[in-house]
Amino acid sequence: MAATSPSQMITDLHRPGAASDFFASSHHQSPARPAKPQFARNRHAIGLPEVSEVDVVRHFTRLSHESHGVDNGPYPLGSCTMKYNPKRNDVLARLPGFENAHPLQDTDTLGGVWEMYERLQTMVCEITGMDACCLAPAAGAHGELAGLLVIRAHFERLSHRRPVVLVPDSAHGTNPASAAMAGFDCRIVPSDLKGRVDLVALKSMLTPDVAAFMLTNPSTLGLFEDQIVEIADAVHANGSLLYYDGANLNALMGIVRPGDMGFDVVHVNVHKTFSTPHGGGGPGAGPVAVKAALAAYLPSPVVIRKDGVAQPDADRPLSIGKMKSFHGHVGVLLRAYGYLRTMGAAGLRQASTHAVLNANYLQHRLSHMLPPVYNQYCKHETLLSGEKLNTSARQFAKRLIDYGMHPPTLVGAGCVYFPGDLKSAMLIEPTETETKASLDYQVGIYQKVFDEDTHDEALVESAPISRKIARIDLKN
Amino acid sequence: MNKRLDALVIDPSISASPLGHNVHTASDVQAMLQVMGLHSVEQLFEDVPAQVRIRRELDLPPALNEWELMRDVRAMANMNASTLSHANFLGSGAYEHYIPAVIDAIVSRGEFLTAYTPYQPEMSQGLLQALFEFQTLVGKLLGRECVNCSVYDGATALAEACWMMCSATGKRRVVVAQAVWPEYQEVLATYLLPRGVTVDYVLQDAVTGLADIAAMTAKLAGNDIAGLVLQTPNAFGVIEDVAALSNVCKQSGALLTVCVNPLLCGWLEAPGLLGADIVVCEGQPLGLPLSAGGPYIGIIACAKPLERYLPGRLVGRVHDLNGQLGYALVKEDREQHVARDKATSHICSNQALNAIRVAVHLACLGERNFMQIAEVNVANAVMLRDLLLALPGIKLLRTGVHFNEFAIELPIPSIEFCARMKRIGIFAGIPLAESLAGHQRGLLIAVTETKNMADLEAYAKYAKACIDKHCEGGA
Repeated sequence: MAATSPSQMITDLHRPGAASDFFASSHHQSPARPAKPQFARNRHAIGLPEVSEVDVVRHFTRLSHESHGVDNGPYPLGSCTMKYNPKRNDVLARLPGFENAHPLQDTDTLGGVWEMYERLQTMVCEITGMDACCLAPAAGAHGELAGLLVIRAHFERLSHRRPVVLVPDSAHGTNPASAAMAGFDCRIVPSDLKGRVDLVALKSMLTPDVAAFMLTNPSTLGLFEDQIVEIADAVHANGSLLYYDGANLNALMGIVRPGDMGFDVVHVNVHKTFSTPHGGGGPGAGPVAVKAALAAYLPSPVVIRKDGVAQPDADRPLSIGKMKSFHGHVGVLLRAYGYLRTMGAAGLRQASTHAVLNANYLQHRLSHMLPPVYNQYCKHETLLSGEKLNTSARQFAKRLIDYGMHPPTLVGAGCVYFPGDLKSAMLIEPTETETKASLDYQVGIYQKVFDEDTHDEALVESAPISRKIARIDLKN
Repeated sequence: MNKRLDALVIDPSISASPLGHNVHTASDVQAMLQVMGLHSVEQLFEDVPAQVRIRRELDLPPALNEWELMRDVRAMANMNASTLSHANFLGSGAYEHYIPAVIDAIVSRGEFLTAYTPYQPEMSQGLLQALFEFQTLVGKLLGRECVNCSVYDGATALAEACWMMCSATGKRRVVVAQAVWPEYQEVLATYLLPRGVTVDYVLQDAVTGLADIAAMTAKLAGNDIAGLVLQTPNAFGVIEDVAALSNVCKQSGALLTVCVNPLLCGWLEAPGLLGADIVVCEGQPLGLPLSAGGPYIGIIACAKPLERYLPGRLVGRVHDLNGQLGYALVKEDREQHVARDKATSHICSNQALNAIRVAVHLACLGERNFMQIAEVNVANAVMLRDLLLALPGIKLLRTGVHFNEFAIELPIPSIEFCARMKRIGIFAGIPLAESLAGHQRGLLIAVTETKNMADLEAYAKYAKACIDKHCEGGA
């Protein structure tokens, strides 16, 4: 089959001299030509295209039309919490006093940054039930790494040799990957038949060399770990610490706090729970919060209030240091601040309550087509089985695209991992910002595709047929 | 269920907060519960043990409406000084550059802004192509063809690159020319030491400020070195001889990572074309606002044989089942969601929207503007440097050739100098650490295209006044 040419690239729009002249000015004098280093070679042509401004705008506008965001329609990717991103919060990130501040200005000229940080740290601690917080980590995985390095520093200070971190088989891939980066060995804790942590197995794996157990609750299977008190007790009895992966915090705000469940360290994905936009993959932010006993090890900056003035704490000799340059994703954290300030306590609790209501409503309405893998109430997301399908969960998902709906999370198409024989499952997270009408509309689409799967397998197998390109099969 | 848990239920007749984004009416909630045969949302939380529940409202400030929020955050914004209130000559890894208006217009589009990682390629061809264009344009700029879809920032890019060199060679020691940004040194320690990687720093030449190639070469004799690391322009602002160090590496089999200011590639040959195996950069100068330090973008470009050690996402050209060319995330077997603890990195969320910013920025400027901006930057820096060197008591700190940032030695402590200049309305530069400069009078000054002749003359005039005042002992 002959390959057709790809869609037009920006370089295809190149016309020499077409770019806007950014230096056109009656005041501009052509610059002097300073001497280059003797050893340096002049730059060869880079090969950047010269494109007229209107062509640049039209090109990228076209590419945006060939993309899908929450603004376009439902985006029920499980574990990704694709809720509506309030537009007002985007405005905050662009306020001139924040957008034009240089990170290395003297501390006393960045008072607004520290003020916002101190308030946001306090809110994160209250929501998670923790005592101290650092906002610097750039993403969830970065928060995990920070938290694990805190745990490592804690045991090093105690001179305890604990080189092992336990993770459930259903954990996000970032958990074991972060543990490896923090210099730990990973051991995998199996799930029981109800999709929970296998408590007996966990207890047998809690040996003196275990530093921490990393847990997502609700789990990646959408289920609340109802044995959490026993888990926390067992972990602590072993002298180990309990790490909370905040990816699924959206189910629990104002209802139960990680700190009260016995977790010692938590990270929050503000681009999930606190509604900051995902931007096609980032930037997000992953604040890390800990119980008081671990506060001294948090990375920098930690902002404190001294004589009423918020400022970075300069006296933190036990800190694990810097996770990245400068202070963190100020532009993202401002949006999270705006979200929390407009939601308030009751608003957050309602968000979590409705996130769980929506997920259960979908689970219930889809159950005759896609039965839940675990027959119980789910939390903010539901794991559905594709066993009744004639085609496959994957093809079913591809056909959803033809109806303008983003597919749920599948193995290999999302940042989760389903253990055991759940390879054909799909994880649906509607979030609290889908209306009942939207959920009913989505159910209607699932029903149509389910009927097609019953009567016209070939059609489902050929999906998607409405897009610019047909199905892409990757062998990696 | 018991009464205590009923606290969960919010009076459905009122909205929980002014902007609570509550999309359900009370009758919606009732209808949904009825369909499920439930009488209360409480029943969905029966598996949460009562003993760990929070039995009170979260202690958060009262909810604000939209204009109250704007007022609240604007008040905080006004507590910051910025490049709008002060003439800014700060750099050290973050620079004030002009940003074409087109960029914000494009990245504000909801289809990009509110998308997730493009896991379903058929639905995300535009986003994937935009990211592919980022990879392509940046590859041309840095001189290495394999570019990933971004990491968090320049510092983490450098740390990830060091781990790439360790993975590729199986060795656990890297040699770093000392004049990398101090913050980057801290991040290298955070990332590498727990994994058992040793980081050796080699002092720079005390006169030129250049990396001491002989000393770095000597380190390679040990044969346990994964690779060398060089920053250019370095923490003195001095441009390093990448080609010379690359030759050394080629002879010994060690790898070379160069951390570059991407704008330098508009003036001098790209590090990749000079033989660097891995080129990393902080992409902030390519169309990202200062934003008090982030979000920025870390960029990694490498030679083909190292591609499988790259962290994070890669967009590639693929065929659909009809043979049509399209785009998709590729080579995911390197990544955490597939390889888990054997992954090249843990990175999942990256800086994708900023990658689009960079792509639009480079497309908007084009070859001629990009080269011209680089030249204006260095010309402005030279202009200010010469104005300052004409003042009594100011010397060049290191003799190596600089780009848009240079280091001087002041006759007075640089912290004192900066404090005085700040009162006049000038962010005069960043005091160099004593460990780098050898004393407390070193100052690193960045000058970009945003400054005109009047700005530079004002800097020199007030610099003289501040030094004179200090010497007189005045306030």
